[in-house]
Amino acid sequence: MIERPVIQPWSAKIVAIRTQIIISALVPAALLGLVVLLTSIDFSLALIAIFLPAQLLCAGFVGFKNFNKRGVKDAALLVLVYFFSAMVFVLLMSVLFSVIAKGFGAISPHFLYENNKYVSSTTTLEYGGVGHAILGTLLIVALTTIVAVPLGIAMAVYLTQSQAKHLGLVRTVTQALSGLPSVVSGLFILSLMPVLGLERSGLTGALALFPLMLPTVARVAEESLKLVPADLRLAALALGAPNYRAFFQVILPAAKSGIITALLLGLARVVGETAPLILTTNANNGTNLNPFAGGIASLPTFVYSFLGSGYATSQQRAWGGALVLLLLVGVLFASARIFGRTKSLKTKSKGKKK
Amino acid sequence: MITLPTASTLSAENISVWFGQRQVLENVNLTFPANQVTALIGPSGCGKSTFLRTLNRMHELIPSAGLAGSVFLDGQDIYGPEADAVDVRINIGMVFQKPNPFPTMSIKENILSGLKLSGRKIDNADELVETSLRRASIWNEVKDRLGDQALSLSGGQQQRLCIARSLAMNPKVLLMDEPCSALDPGSTRRIEETISELSESMTIVIVTHNMQQAQRVSDQTAFFLAEEGTPGGVVEFGRTEDVFNTPVDLRTNDYVNGHFG
Repeated sequence: MIERPVIQPWSAKIVAIRTQIIISALVPAALLGLVVLLTSIDFSLALIAIFLPAQLLCAGFVGFKNFNKRGVKDAALLVLVYFFSAMVFVLLMSVLFSVIAKGFGAISPHFLYENNKYVSSTTTLEYGGVGHAILGTLLIVALTTIVAVPLGIAMAVYLTQSQAKHLGLVRTVTQALSGLPSVVSGLFILSLMPVLGLERSGLTGALALFPLMLPTVARVAEESLKLVPADLRLAALALGAPNYRAFFQVILPAAKSGIITALLLGLARVVGETAPLILTTNANNGTNLNPFAGGIASLPTFVYSFLGSGYATSQQRAWGGALVLLLLVGVLFASARIFGRTKSLKTKSKGKKK
Repeated sequence: MITLPTASTLSAENISVWFGQRQVLENVNLTFPANQVTALIGPSGCGKSTFLRTLNRMHELIPSAGLAGSVFLDGQDIYGPEADAVDVRINIGMVFQKPNPFPTMSIKENILSGLKLSGRKIDNADELVETSLRRASIWNEVKDRLGDQALSLSGGQQQRLCIARSLAMNPKVLLMDEPCSALDPGSTRRIEETISELSESMTIVIVTHNMQQAQRVSDQTAFFLAEEGTPGGVVEFGRTEDVFNTPVDLRTNDYVNGHFG
């Protein structure tokens, strides 16, 4: 037995120049700190105009010293990738942080289940909540989902499994539809309502979300079905499977995780939509469990209406609603992921035990 | 004990094949007697795999496919008006070039998949799984891990699993499209042994690029060739010994001795 070396042969050089790398990372940061402290320059401007060039220069120098020309290019790529990834990460975190920081104060158990019936703009946060809006959002989105997801998957199946003549046209229209502005979708349903004889209700809200969800589900499901190797379908057919069984027992299970992603992205697309719901549903401060009649609250419209009023407590309520919406999306994502994973985990662990 | 079906005679008459307007095979006439192993050899692109696919109606799944001629399974035309493609494929199994077990299923589920996929009832599942895996000589390697994912097996084992999956359907004829081209010599040898054993209960047609393999496993050999600009066809067909040792056609002689192709 030979003892495993502490430093791997391929990382010896990096370890040798470690000090240089650390210095090349500290110098630009120190420079940025000095400039920001000593002058009144804006921080973000300094980050782009001073830190980034300085970091590129330092890293490029170290790269050139140790790896010649290619070292400069490698270092530049490394710095740019890390810098902009960090920026995106900070951006995302600050969105999350601001919602949590401003919304956390409003959250309490009763905020999650009480409705808003006797709450005015100035009522303290001890009373009222978003329970009615959570239920409303769930009802509306569920109504959209149970129609849009099967139809979206059916479209994806049509686009991938059939050899019809006009696939290109259908695909183009689907792609164009996925860019449909949500307010247009809301207006479309609003203009249809008198024709169909529909009153504003949860149903009309769900109808307005439908054109937004369908193309998202269809496109992502299509991509995931495309990734299933053609071999598997042939293998199933060669065993004497009719087309429908080959699809349901072989192709669909193989694309399962992709189909669940399609469902998730579809949900994510519509759960926070505000404009279509403002246009097609009536607000309601009380709880309404009937999506087919009457005003119905939803989280995005709740946030929108309370943010509009000038009172501090109302604004806090709005941020609380935004946080709940964020949590709801998180819960939906997590549960769908777990639901989609259970089977393969089970078979794996079964195999290990034996 | 599960009763095995008797082997059948398969014969192709005047098979011609097109892809779009391009003809790739012309007037192929071959007979595959019961319990015999027939090897189809020839250079790449001569149409032997395409021909193999016409034998269990997999060819028609390609959108631009065209076909003329008939294939008889025990006297019944599989392209006849009463014939059903799904029934044909149940009786004539197929093993593909690349192992293609179903990735979402366990080893056991893969074996039973054919019955499930063709909508048939499964009695004594365990016995069927064991028999099929034994016939494909892979039982000893997998008997303790039947619940594992099929993809956890090595390439050679996956291919034998695919053979076992076909055998679970009790086909009368088994078509093999270069079943060993992606495998190591050890797995190849085991599959060749399996082929010899299987020929006792079924008719086997195997496409191969390996001359030694053709000589080892087959009783009769058909040499396919597509000369430049013309559709492919059978140049020589006969007992394997004759085709390899005393070929009638000069082109066969050149090919089996490695002078071209």
